[in-house]
Amino acid sequence: MLPHSLLGLLGLLALCKGQQETGEAESCDNFTDLNLSHCFMGTSLYVRLLLYTRSNLDCGRELDHHRPSSQPLFNLSRPTAFVIHGYRPTGAPPIWIDHLVHLLAEQQDMNVVVVDWNKGAANLNYFIAVSYTREAAYNLTGFIGAMQEEGASLSSLHLIGVSLGAHLAGFVGANLKGKIGRITGLDPAGPMFTSATPLERLDPSDAMFVDVLHTDMNSFGLQGAHGHIDFYANGGADQPGCPKTIFAGKSYFVCDHQRSVFLFLCSLNRTCSLTGYPCSSYSHFLEGRCLQCETFKPASCPVLGYDVSQWRETLLRLGQTKVFFSTTATLPYRKLNYRVDMVTWNQYLRWGVVYIRLHNGRNFTEVRIDQKRLRFEQYTSTRLLAQFDEDLQQVQKISMRINTGNVIGPRYKIRLLRIRFTPLGRPERPLMCRYDIIMEENMEVAFRPLPCNSHL
Amino acid sequence: MDIELQAIGENGKDGATCSPNERVAAGNGDGGASRTPDTAEKDGLLFGQPASSNGETVSSHHTTEAQRTLGNTFCPRKMNSVCRISRERVRLLLIIICIVVLICAAIGISLAMCAAINVDGDDNFDSSSFKVPRSFNGSFQLPNRVFTEELSTLSSNESQALAAGLQEKLDHLYRSSPALGRYFSKAEIQAFRNGSVVIADYQLTFVMPEEQQDQLRNFTLSREMVYNVFRQFLYDQEADESGGQMYIAPVSLNMLLRL
Repeated sequence: MLPHSLLGLLGLLALCKGQQETGEAESCDNFTDLNLSHCFMGTSLYVRLLLYTRSNLDCGRELDHHRPSSQPLFNLSRPTAFVIHGYRPTGAPPIWIDHLVHLLAEQQDMNVVVVDWNKGAANLNYFIAVSYTREAAYNLTGFIGAMQEEGASLSSLHLIGVSLGAHLAGFVGANLKGKIGRITGLDPAGPMFTSATPLERLDPSDAMFVDVLHTDMNSFGLQGAHGHIDFYANGGADQPGCPKTIFAGKSYFVCDHQRSVFLFLCSLNRTCSLTGYPCSSYSHFLEGRCLQCETFKPASCPVLGYDVSQWRETLLRLGQTKVFFSTTATLPYRKLNYRVDMVTWNQYLRWGVVYIRLHNGRNFTEVRIDQKRLRFEQYTSTRLLAQFDEDLQQVQKISMRINTGNVIGPRYKIRLLRIRFTPLGRPERPLMCRYDIIMEENMEVAFRPLPCNSHL
Repeated sequence: MDIELQAIGENGKDGATCSPNERVAAGNGDGGASRTPDTAEKDGLLFGQPASSNGETVSSHHTTEAQRTLGNTFCPRKMNSVCRISRERVRLLLIIICIVVLICAAIGISLAMCAAINVDGDDNFDSSSFKVPRSFNGSFQLPNRVFTEELSTLSSNESQALAAGLQEKLDHLYRSSPALGRYFSKAEIQAFRNGSVVIADYQLTFVMPEEQQDQLRNFTLSREMVYNVFRQFLYDQEADESGGQMYIAPVSLNMLLRL
């Protein structure tokens, strides 16, 4: 009896071990990988929820839709972020998904749930994918309901939706009566949603706090404002560095739209801090009319990314806020912004565009402010926004040139009493001033800036 | 063409005449004889054509030679009209060119005149109308000078020399200022004091016109502007003069409006 039972026990143990081993090997549930043929054939909706936590960053675990806590790694007392992708015309997993999961897990010890509805989103026919969003939203709503029953709080949930996924997140939020903690919409999809009512798309009532980033409003993105705060990168339409013609192939279509994800990733990574300035339009922003951050005092203007929730209370009080910023074409996307104030003593009104170059001894960075001709009126401050692509520290020399657009006739002179460069978003950097300058048209004037001194 | 056809016809007749003769030699001879007119005719054709064309070219040579020998005064009747037309055209072209050049010159001259005559309103001022004085007082430090008793009395040689040097410096800096130069009247060194280094007290006097007084007070001749033009000058020369006797420490500069 004894040897028999021993043998049986051993056998059982071995079986268990084997199961465990095979279980571990198979338990990585990764994003559904489809190919173009699936898209041609069309796929029907199938939602998978893949859990990633700090202890399984590279190995997703599929969650049971009805019993979330059956997965031991899913700790409902931690906050949970849902990552929702959009339309997948090729069926391939999004290239940013792993990066986003890793960076989210770095922010906070939380559950990252990738909502994999690739089966459904992978259809050549975009309209089918659109029609599946409602269904997928109901599915996810059900899961969140189950989470709630098992003790999770809605306010600790954060839905991050990309493109069509942003509207999906909005639907989930609406289903849950807007009690979800936060929804982040990364360039909410435009096609089929342009004339949608707030109920039919992402809107601020879908969550307690909704932040949206726009990068491609003129094609795949949706125009307008959809969150408590809407960030418009480079005006929310064409992004620098993205191809302008169809000859560039696929990137012509996706570059602008995808930039929203890359900007968000870069802000999660802390490699770029992009400050948005509240303004009514991008052209007003470029004209330097919206560089005040008094509304947010003592904080600065809102910074794009995960930590924008710092501004939550102020933003909720303000209702809906549109903020603007410009980026460069590549990482770290950030531009060095200066507010430039000039006062002239010219008797007669003059108009002109300005070129400014900053030198730090080794290299220089140049900007041309020509969106609009600037108005130089006697004893009146002319303000402009100078956005330099390169961040030069320790500026040693500034050169300027002015062009009044006067082809024939005399060369005008602009006589400045004072010019002041205020670095924006860098309170530690000194203000730079220069006094008593004469700029002859099209002639470069170089000077050494002095620290503006206010003590007098 | 007619000639050729004829020749072939004759040839055919020859052939017909010779065919009944069955003697080979005679036939041969006939054949040879019958062939000759053919070749001769061909030759004649060949000769005829080049000859005629040659004749033509030769004749044209002659006309050109005639033209050359007779000189330019002579135009053959056909060419005469062409010559006249081309001359008229050339004349017309010349006139047009002249007009264009004239217009260009007129535009250029008027532009140059405009630019020369155009006086920038801001460069014009009438200093005799500047009557309202505006003064500033202040002090600065001369870190490279050691204070001596002699400096404390303004009449002494040492202080006179130093004061003159400093006054010249201030004079130069304000006179060369585009915005302030026209209003600048004088700079005086009032005293030297002993701090840890030599401290100089100065006074600047500007005169301004009666009109626009308020704006001048608030902007061009504001304390901020007068002070910063001085400070900027000191910063700019800091690099090359920081060892000199007349070196003024930029941070030590202060200035107050004298009421």
